[in-house]
Amino acid sequence: MRSYGLLACVALASIAGAQQPVAKTAGPTLIKNATVLTVTKGTLQNTDILLQNGKIAQIGKNLTAPAGAQVIDATGKYVMPGIIDPHSHTMADAINEGSLSVTSMVRMRDVLNPTDINIYRQLAGGVTTINLLHGSANTIGGQNAVLKLKYGREADEMLFPGAMPGIKFALGENVTQKNSQQSAQAQGRQLRYPATRMGQEEILRDAFTRARDYKATLDEYKAKAAKGDKTAIAPARNLELEPLVEVLEGKRFVHAHSYRADEMLMLLNVAKEFGFTVKTLQHGLEGYKIASEIQQAGTGLSSFADEWSYKIEAYDAIPYNVPILLSHGVVATVNSDSDERARRLNIDAAKMVRYGGLSDDEALKTITYNGAVQLGVQDRVGSIEIGKDADVVIWSGHPLSVYSSAETTFIDGEIFFDKQKDLAMRDQMAKERAALEAADRGRRAIVP
Amino acid sequence: MRIGRTMRAATLAYAALAAPAIARGQLGVQRQRNAPSVYAITNARIITVSGAPIERGTVVVRDGVIAAVGAAAQAPADARIIDGTGLTVYPGIIDANSTVGIGAIGAAGDAGRGGRGGAGGGRGAGPQQQATPSAPNSIHPVGLQPEVATVDLLNADADALTGPQSAGITTALSIPSSGIFRGLSAVVNLGGMNSQAMVVKTPVAEHIGFTPSRGGGYPNSLLGVFSALRQTLIDAQHYGAEQAAYAKNPRGMRRPEPDPSLEALQPVLARQIPVVMEAGLEREIERALDLAKEFNLRVIIAGGEEADKVAARLKSENVPVLISLNYPRRPQASADADPEPLRVLRARVEAPKLAAKLQAAGVRFAFADGGLTTWNDFLPNVGRAVESGLTADQAVRALTLGAAEILGVNDRLGSIEQGKVANLTVMRGDLFGGRVSQLFIDGMPVEIRAPANAAASAANGAWTITVTLDEGEKPVTLNLQQAGEQLRGTIQGALGSSQISNGSIGPTGDVQFTATVTMNAGTEEARFTGTINGNVIRGTVAIVGHPQGTFLGTKPDAAQGGRGGRGRPPAR
Repeated sequence: MRSYGLLACVALASIAGAQQPVAKTAGPTLIKNATVLTVTKGTLQNTDILLQNGKIAQIGKNLTAPAGAQVIDATGKYVMPGIIDPHSHTMADAINEGSLSVTSMVRMRDVLNPTDINIYRQLAGGVTTINLLHGSANTIGGQNAVLKLKYGREADEMLFPGAMPGIKFALGENVTQKNSQQSAQAQGRQLRYPATRMGQEEILRDAFTRARDYKATLDEYKAKAAKGDKTAIAPARNLELEPLVEVLEGKRFVHAHSYRADEMLMLLNVAKEFGFTVKTLQHGLEGYKIASEIQQAGTGLSSFADEWSYKIEAYDAIPYNVPILLSHGVVATVNSDSDERARRLNIDAAKMVRYGGLSDDEALKTITYNGAVQLGVQDRVGSIEIGKDADVVIWSGHPLSVYSSAETTFIDGEIFFDKQKDLAMRDQMAKERAALEAADRGRRAIVP
Repeated sequence: MRIGRTMRAATLAYAALAAPAIARGQLGVQRQRNAPSVYAITNARIITVSGAPIERGTVVVRDGVIAAVGAAAQAPADARIIDGTGLTVYPGIIDANSTVGIGAIGAAGDAGRGGRGGAGGGRGAGPQQQATPSAPNSIHPVGLQPEVATVDLLNADADALTGPQSAGITTALSIPSSGIFRGLSAVVNLGGMNSQAMVVKTPVAEHIGFTPSRGGGYPNSLLGVFSALRQTLIDAQHYGAEQAAYAKNPRGMRRPEPDPSLEALQPVLARQIPVVMEAGLEREIERALDLAKEFNLRVIIAGGEEADKVAARLKSENVPVLISLNYPRRPQASADADPEPLRVLRARVEAPKLAAKLQAAGVRFAFADGGLTTWNDFLPNVGRAVESGLTADQAVRALTLGAAEILGVNDRLGSIEQGKVANLTVMRGDLFGGRVSQLFIDGMPVEIRAPANAAASAANGAWTITVTLDEGEKPVTLNLQQAGEQLRGTIQGALGSSQISNGSIGPTGDVQFTATVTMNAGTEEARFTGTINGNVIRGTVAIVGHPQGTFLGTKPDAAQGGRGGRGRPPAR
């Protein structure tokens, strides 16, 4: 009953928070007397945290508030790092460019919707960073965007500075369009190549071969130009192959949607052949079958907490996937892939404790620190340590409890969600709605 | 029977003989070989825009040009005199972003297609099904052909022009096409001896919409639209460099391949002509400005519903806005519909306030029809901007000289000054609240006729829909707002609640849009493709990883509308 009430609370909050620009909180904040879940350095009781200049400035007992600091008494409350969702489709005006098998030229950052209400809802679930990925329609999808959920700000301000660029790959059923083949054939539509996993391997090999050739052409031009050859004209930039060259050069992470062990091994082998590392396997529900191989490849994995057998590729999924991977030394995370689950990722982490026997810290890592590693931002976020970004969340109770909820969410030391403020805003929003409706009533409706 | 057939034959014969006269008449100007070409409107109130209003004066028009204007100006002896008592004369009103004059409008055939045999040919598009025009010999797909030009496609007929004329419009910036690169526009007068005579200036701007390709090929999403735009502009830069290098020293260099599409972008990259980008929401405007900045383009924003939120940037980057007068309208909601999201409500109430906000922020603007469903709303909607804080003078300026300045034709249009083109909008009474009495276009009088039929918008309104997916039947409410070929709106119900995106509607009622939907297994992107026929919408739903679904729905409040008819979208 209680958790039910909290959900209703969040749903209402989402209306209230709509499009309210958040004022920059200039000053420092001192969070007093909390139970601090640092995630990397254990749990600290009755501890204060000072957030200053966007960073975690001090952690300790009986800290003194600097002049002008806002002081929050967190007695009885928990503070944990902001949750990182390694697989999100929130705040995008488009998710798939599914027309071609290789769409490495498309970029999620071109289609960001900073007004998406799901940003606010996820802040209310303690999420502060997301890995916004292209969909899984094609073998090589688009470029990702790593974002901090600074709701109320412009899209550019939400891009995580310094995060490694990434790209989405996808294997298996979604790419072969197995599920829509029959309807496509019935309508006389041509199926897009590839329709099998064999074809996916060929697409990858072909794309990276072209990327190598492109790189060679660029290098050839550079060599000519260096020799002072005036007839040399720079080759036109190829937006499709540029990001793949970056993958070859280790400057761009590959996040690969995959379910089955065989397709994951295929990708790891192709990557080895071309000399790059797959940063993460996304979903990877059969990862436990090849945990050692994944670990040896230096690859991470981001899985669902459950969703066992929800489709054919998922039939061999088990609840212990993430714990087994962790025990083999794989950097493993739990992701949402869903606007709904994204605001309850703490509960998905708790399932790892319940079903996989993880410790609280290990479970919390799957939604915080490990995600930071997978996105190349572990020096910035993912744990509560001095010098890291002040992306922290105050919870009403232990975040692995269904009875707890996020009360205040900080990003770079600024508050982007506050439950009390949210409650207070509702009156204001109701008044605005009444005024707008009154103004609107004067006008006729569309005659259909 | 027999008589009837004879009659018809006689009519056809007459039509053949009279064809040239009809062709002229079709362009809305009753010009004959010996028609008078000197007119004087006397005793009228004259709003010159460039100078102070003249409370009682005379405008003399001779051979298409304003010959004299003033309180003391005299009607020449050879002038046909129009008593202007009770009339107000304005410079001809300019619709600053329109598709007026382009084929899809009106029911007329394609007789005046200017020898453009290749247009639409071989694409299976009949005359009724006006496809996006294709440039001849282009190696780029339809929708990515910046060389398509209004001047080649003008096909104005009387019926097509009566609508805008009835709204007092003498001149429009006419856009040739739809899609992503929408082609080179022209400023056209809405009357003339033939379609070419209408052209005041060409090319005026390259136009960029952000509408994904409807055929399913690349790019079929907003993601691909941006990368296609970016790659085409990069290719155009490279093409220009190659051509320049070859022109300078052709010997020993492989001849670069000519490409009319990339050629057409050279003046755009050289900032000789601006790019008009369709962008309404704040984020759409930001994206457009970012793209323009990336390629150092001169940009004009068209639509601009949320331009006030970007006003500071528009001002500092000196970007004008062609404000859409197609304000969002309240759908007739069914009784059990969810309450409207606050942002939708806000957008509707705030829309008429935009012009005043831009004025206050120092952002230049003009008005455009924005795909209005009825021309009767054009001036009244400017009137609503005036009710919402814009002064009448500011509004008039934006409709005339302000628009001419933005479009680079203020040397010939936009004000009542001696020597300028004699485009005049004559009102009985005031521009806001009065009635359009007469127009002069290129110095020739145009009588106002009621538009043949005010087209209604097929998609507008609340649709009750059942989406059938592998997860079962999902009842949803679809609220659609149509603006020209663009569709906006929301989807609410068993698939969650979201704004639709990438929405478009074709000339035969084919619709497509994407929406983020909440499924059992996660958040997915659903691509809806279908048709609207009367008050029925149906089609298929594609979601990655799921079998294809279907949707079927109706507009419950359409029944009493009495419009009936086919689901043909507005002719505009």
